[in-house]
Amino acid sequence: MSKQLDMFKTNLEEFASKHKQEIRKNPEFRVQFQDMCATIGVDPLASGKGFWSEMLGVGDFYYELGVQIIEVCLALKHRNGGLITLEELHQQVLKGRGKFAQDVSQDDLIRAIKKLKALGTGFSIIPVGGTYLIQSVPAELNMDHTVVLQLAEKSGYVTVSDIKATLKWETERARQVLEHLLKEGLAWLDLQAPGEAHYWLPALFTDLYSQEITADEAREALP
Amino acid sequence: MAMSFEWPWQYRFPPFFTLQPNMDTRQKQLAAWCSLVLSFCRLHKQSSMTVMEAQESPLFNNVKLQRKLPVESIQIVLEELRKKGNLEWLDKNKSSFLIMWRRPEEWGKLIYQWVSRSGQNNSVFTLYELTCGEDTEDEGSPKVPVSTRKEGCLLFLPEFHGLDEATLLRALQALQQEHKAEIITVSDGRGVKFF
Repeated sequence: MSKQLDMFKTNLEEFASKHKQEIRKNPEFRVQFQDMCATIGVDPLASGKGFWSEMLGVGDFYYELGVQIIEVCLALKHRNGGLITLEELHQQVLKGRGKFAQDVSQDDLIRAIKKLKALGTGFSIIPVGGTYLIQSVPAELNMDHTVVLQLAEKSGYVTVSDIKATLKWETERARQVLEHLLKEGLAWLDLQAPGEAHYWLPALFTDLYSQEITADEAREALP
Repeated sequence: MAMSFEWPWQYRFPPFFTLQPNMDTRQKQLAAWCSLVLSFCRLHKQSSMTVMEAQESPLFNNVKLQRKLPVESIQIVLEELRKKGNLEWLDKNKSSFLIMWRRPEEWGKLIYQWVSRSGQNNSVFTLYELTCGEDTEDEGSPKVPVSTRKEGCLLFLPEFHGLDEATLLRALQALQQEHKAEIITVSDGRGVKFF
């Protein structure tokens, strides 16, 4: 996607595999490694005490995949507020890998994201209607918000009436959740929909899937 | 260059046609609208428009989606474009505007480069020559046939594809501001001297 990130990726991988022993033993090496991780928004210190063995036990495949996932999420967060479906993430990652790379399944993505979660990167996995939404920007989402996201998954939007009918909530509770989604940049307001205001999530807008990442978005992905 | 126009994803996204209440989202939305207006006008070779035309144009009115950007929001988009230097109101009532997909200063820079490259500094061109006789000042004059078009005919050069007369004039005025050119009066109209 961007030359800088590619170069950085390669350096990080080379460094990690060459200096496995030193990283464990030598504080200076750990600092260098941490700096490189920080550049892509990964904070090794934020994970638990099992980090170093966990990190180096992952193997190049999942680490590389984690970096790719971060690239895609950074590039698209301008569009979708940091929320993306597993499907779209999968499509974009496959596109980025090219024809000759090893194939990657959705299960692989989930494993890689779980690793990223453990590293304290702000990633979270939200189950919705049989699939998952991946949140890459730490937004405050509680149970109410998550449940409404699940409701929106079917048609890409949700309304106060939908929430009241399906979840049996009071109007005010429904409105608060929708306001919050607007505030977090995860939803856009549509006042020209028939009946009442519709709240659309770019992350669930399936038309988006086939869209290439634009040059502007790729620029956004640079750390 | 009239290929089929590629609408950006936002154009098919219903809330794109509602001014967003969240300020960060609104910024993204307005940036996308500005970009869309400029590429649309560039492709359709539209250098000026009235607000009424704009309202009904597919640009702001997506019939298939049943969404149209309300006129107050259109005004906000146009004001953004004006602030960026891509739009100029043609009347006091703000009912019609000139839309320049490339700002006059940017065109000025390209024109000056062309002048310097072809060693034509210190030469004088009439506006008539630069516009290949398409000069709107001179409505009565005959159009210059292709075979007799001189080398100074800017508007037909490939690198100036998409430059219209009104924008050309503003580009020359921008160069004048930078003391790289001077708009002068010649025998039958206006001309420009490049330094």
